Amino acid sequence: MAYQVTIVEDDSDMLNDMVGILRKSADFDVTSTYKNVKDALGQAGMFRPDLFFINVENDEMLNSLPKFVDTFKGAYILGTMRQWNPEVATIASDGGATGCILKPFTAKDVLEYLQLYSVRGQHKPAKLISFFSPKGRAGRTTLAAILALQLAEKTGEKVALIDADLQFGDLPIFFDLEPKRTVVDAAQDIRLLTPMTFAPYFHQIKDGVSLLASPAHPEYAELVGPDSLVDVVRMTESIFRYVIVDLPAGFNPVALNICRISDTVFITTMINSGFEVNHAKKTMEMFATQDDGRRKVYTVFTRVQPFNEESRKKIAEQLGFPVDIMIPNEYRMISVANSGRLAQGLPMDTLLMQTIGKMADKIINWGSGEV
Amino acid sequence: MAIATYTGSERTSIIISVFSTTPGIGKTIIAINLASGLATHGYKVCLADLDLQFGDVLNYLQLKSPVTVAGAQRALLDNRENFDVRNFLFDYQNGYVTFSILPAPLYIYDAYQTDVNLVTEIIQDLSYFDYIIVDLNSMFSALNLAILDISTVINYVGVIDFLPALKNYKVGYDTLIRFNYEEKKIRLVENRADSQKLIESRDVERLIGEPFYFKLPNDYASVKKAINSGQPLMFAAPESKLTKSFDDLVGLYSNRKIDNSQDDSVIQPSGILKSIKKFLGF
Repeated sequence: MAYQVTIVEDDSDMLNDMVGILRKSADFDVTSTYKNVKDALGQAGMFRPDLFFINVENDEMLNSLPKFVDTFKGAYILGTMRQWNPEVATIASDGGATGCILKPFTAKDVLEYLQLYSVRGQHKPAKLISFFSPKGRAGRTTLAAILALQLAEKTGEKVALIDADLQFGDLPIFFDLEPKRTVVDAAQDIRLLTPMTFAPYFHQIKDGVSLLASPAHPEYAELVGPDSLVDVVRMTESIFRYVIVDLPAGFNPVALNICRISDTVFITTMINSGFEVNHAKKTMEMFATQDDGRRKVYTVFTRVQPFNEESRKKIAEQLGFPVDIMIPNEYRMISVANSGRLAQGLPMDTLLMQTIGKMADKIINWGSGEV
Repeated sequence: MAIATYTGSERTSIIISVFSTTPGIGKTIIAINLASGLATHGYKVCLADLDLQFGDVLNYLQLKSPVTVAGAQRALLDNRENFDVRNFLFDYQNGYVTFSILPAPLYIYDAYQTDVNLVTEIIQDLSYFDYIIVDLNSMFSALNLAILDISTVINYVGVIDFLPALKNYKVGYDTLIRFNYEEKKIRLVENRADSQKLIESRDVERLIGEPFYFKLPNDYASVKKAINSGQPLMFAAPESKLTKSFDDLVGLYSNRKIDNSQDDSVIQPSGILKSIKKFLGF
């Protein structure tokens, strides 16, 4: 059955173009067009539309997206723009749009975008989760990778892993990949990309989990501007429901920029000499000064031994902050990661997997009032 | 003579930078024990902690210093004429052994404000020491490259117990070569060399195309003692094999005509390895 289409567009020429293109396709049935928000919200219901094209370059239309989502439950809502604008795309997505599309488009473009956006998962804004570690060697990458696999398995939604440890990222080796395109290419190309042309930069590593890999040579890191990396993450959010970023160690422009836009930041620390807790404390204090109430910052301690409440209390005392998540040790992980079989060989029956599983459950339930 | 005399910049020090591409593999322990080992032999030594955000030199020696490199940078900016780097050094002393420390900033904010040129200038101002040991962090940052540039030798540390660590060691070495550091300047030092592991040193040497310059044994107990007591290994575990091993490494580094002996002891890359190196674009 053809999509029942409603177009909300204040530019008459553009409106005529879109109608003309869609009418030629058997897949679309243009039932109504409007030049302003008020008429569209009031009248379109008559035609039971299930696909909207709304001009998000118009501020009023952009800001009314939540009303359309609320009034026409279950309908696909595509924001239309002449040039890709990452900020507008993010606002549209936060407003509940299915996604955005460049105009003018062909009927085939629309079908491809609908496919891309429907496999993503629920039509809700993406959850952006960053893994920060003060000095590195914290178990950050392993944790990020396992969490990605578990989120995908539990939700059936699309999960992206972005290896932003630009100099010495380890994710490709964990998954035994030799990526053709990397996060460096994505950052350089991003201004010219659309979600459709950006999607192939990811490598699928398992059902539902795709990786945007780090480059093979550390000097390529120089080519990535922190701002373009933000744009890369923003566009990733339009095609993935969960976005997990593995950051380079320490405070640097890349890590700070990504943390700034993240919903959740995990400060990951592995205790070795004991002074790592002090580093985590310094880190938490820095994040506290940067707090604008928009992101949650959690402390994570990996390979905690003994794995009990006594340890939690001891670490928390030295840290001066609560220990939010403790991850137990699992010796078998080393050989799994060493063999590049992280996507296949996880020791599922272990305490480690159960603990990360619970972490995934919490993330899935955040925002649905069941924390 | 343990106390450094300030003679301006007439002399040049031997600068040994301790560098790696994987964090948390013993750089700071190596830096501290090189410093104390060289100091034992009567050299004037300064240990500079340039892991600016999360340096551990003071932590591992259980010291609190009122001065840091951040203060030195401020002083240099405010009043270049009267800048005296000695005002920003903190001395470690244990029995007859003493060396100076240029501590890392206490606050991340200060660390973030450091300027590569100023810090390099401060390190060069230390040239009245016989040896400057620089503890770096595990990245190719502008600061680390500036310090590697002025280093006499790069003590490039690897612990090869994990595939990603091996990858990063190899990639880091190749990058140093691409950046035109002379192979002679880069000293491959394997830490925890005799621990049980899946990857053999020999395979690493074959992959890198160079032999290890030195191998430090695995001695977790002694390192733990040293950190817990806040002392170099020679005091915390004088009889340990790691202490002995550091003494040997100090011996290599304190021979001013560094390593004539090395060429005899090392395995030269075979013809095949040489051609692989060429193929890889060294």
